[in-house]
Amino acid sequence: MVGEMGALDGTDPKKFITDFFTSFMSDLARGDEDPTVIVDRYHTPDIVQVADGNLMDRAKLIAHTRPARKHQTGARWEVHEAIADEDRIAARYTLHFQTSKREGSVDVHFFGQFAADGRMRRAHMLTRSVPAKVSGAAPAEVSSESSPPEAPDRRQSPA
Amino acid sequence: MTVSSYRVIGMACGHCAGFVTEEIERIPGVTTVAVDVERDTVTVTSDGPLDIAEVRAAVEEAGYELP
Repeated sequence: MVGEMGALDGTDPKKFITDFFTSFMSDLARGDEDPTVIVDRYHTPDIVQVADGNLMDRAKLIAHTRPARKHQTGARWEVHEAIADEDRIAARYTLHFQTSKREGSVDVHFFGQFAADGRMRRAHMLTRSVPAKVSGAAPAEVSSESSPPEAPDRRQSPA
Repeated sequence: MTVSSYRVIGMACGHCAGFVTEEIERIPGVTTVAVDVERDTVTVTSDGPLDIAEVRAAVEEAGYELP
């Protein structure tokens, strides 16, 4: 099974998960590409995310990208640790976000499963808002983020 | 007392619910706001009927949309 892990195999899970979220949000934030196309580039059609007990399928995920695109001005994923087991990743990270109106940080405990091409298939998240760090670095401008060369190529059309 | 329900698009988690609640609570006359993220629904209790334009503006200020 490990050999089938095309995108994750050989990649540091901490880097994989950081690149996944950063690249996804960067694609949303820059340009005017249809959010549906972007969501499908990073998620399988049967994607199921459960955040704090709230289920989000593909349609809800696409709907959720619209406010994110409209208002989010910065986002940075600070991944504290990540562990991979075949096609699954468990990670603990803090999302630092900035919108036109507010900024904040959210601690996330994440369990995810990814397809061989690197797209997300399933994710369960427990989240908790944390106070923004006064002395911390400001969230990076998502529009200035770029995909590191080592990041899995998710720009191909879904199979 | 008036109770009104609205469909709000784009909410995904408790943080989304918090943002929407915070903005709608600013509308004069609103007493309680209950968000059902799973059903994309926001139920607002107010002293009297609300102007839909005000509710729409509050929801959009939070970053979400009324259909």
